[in-house]
Amino acid sequence: MKKKSFFPVLYMFVITAVCSAALIALSNITRPRVEANQRLEFEKAVLSVLPIDIDLEKTPGLEIHKTFIEKISNPDSAGGAYILTKDNQILAYAIPVAGKGFWAPIKGIIGISADRRTLTGISFYEQSETPGLGAEISKPQFSDQFKIKNNRVLAETDKPLRIVRPGTELEKNYIYAVTGATQTSTRLEKLINDDILKWQASIGSGGNK
Amino acid sequence: MPAENIKYRDIVSDGLWGNNPIFRQILGICSALAVTNLVLNTLVMCIALALTTALSSMTISMLRKWTPRNIRMMVQTLLIAFYVIIFDLALKAYWPEMSKNLGPYVGLIITNCIVMGRCEAYGNTNPAIPSFIDGLFNGLGYSFMLLIISVIREILGMGSILGIPVPYFSSTMWDKWIIMVMPPGAFFVLAIMIWICRSIKPAAKEAK
Repeated sequence: MKKKSFFPVLYMFVITAVCSAALIALSNITRPRVEANQRLEFEKAVLSVLPIDIDLEKTPGLEIHKTFIEKISNPDSAGGAYILTKDNQILAYAIPVAGKGFWAPIKGIIGISADRRTLTGISFYEQSETPGLGAEISKPQFSDQFKIKNNRVLAETDKPLRIVRPGTELEKNYIYAVTGATQTSTRLEKLINDDILKWQASIGSGGNK
Repeated sequence: MPAENIKYRDIVSDGLWGNNPIFRQILGICSALAVTNLVLNTLVMCIALALTTALSSMTISMLRKWTPRNIRMMVQTLLIAFYVIIFDLALKAYWPEMSKNLGPYVGLIITNCIVMGRCEAYGNTNPAIPSFIDGLFNGLGYSFMLLIISVIREILGMGSILGIPVPYFSSTMWDKWIIMVMPPGAFFVLAIMIWICRSIKPAAKEAK
């Protein structure tokens, strides 16, 4: 009788130990790859919002990483932003933005040109919004609106950027939302504006450099 | 129900049709609603589910002689979680784009009723290889239903299949049904599919 009540505990213990050991080993083996993937995802996001001539779809990962190291820097003076420079002139800023999404955090990069107002692009490297709805924010239909050719700018008032219902008459600081993704849109609007305001405050208003 | 002599043909046809998890057993409905708005996501999810069901059912079956009855469910859950985490890690390392698309859904395979349902109903009392086959074909039965649902939803809701625009439906002539992309759309399509499949079942049985 005694033996019987003891056996299940031991059995469970052994099985758990075996499975955990296997998973720990596997996760250790794959960790460098997973981390490299995440890093690359981030670098791609930064490069994609800046005016750089590179095809992120076709260029191999290593090349992308090299380009990133070569061209992008993250000096203290930029207030947390990544900058693209040419002959000591800042061409554009890439500002990391992050905050609450509908299901899980949204993390992305927003590109702003040297005038600190005109948008040059947006890209998300982490989001778990609803596939087909909120997740459409990372599709070109939505994110292309932020590209420089559309000439969207941040308004200087306390509501710098607005994501509005498609069909609304566009103003310069308006972006069309994804239909059906109201929650994602309001949260996205908030997190972008919060982080950009913070960035503008930290970088200060003085000087061009 | 499993016969005394194991007949693989029966296992296969039961899993795919006769005892189909979706429209017969009404199992795995939660994920049928969640992942069917884009065909590609559905496809990867189905492969993951079929493999998880097959492998965990097989492992449960191999351990069935030693596992004490009173803790068998704990063991089942543990093994299912084990396989799902392996799959999740593999996706993260080797197919990061898909891992990003599926987000939390891969981890949620653990809670899919089909996996545990098959372990408990079949793997627990049958030898390893039939258990593997049973799990695999139940997974495939689930997959084909989900794929049909997701094709309908993606065409009507987004005007595309696997992201490729379908003529007519992607043009402005077709007013996209937003509701198809949202969870309620899945309820309607799923219910209609269950209705259709249950109505044509008798005919299929006669043919066999």
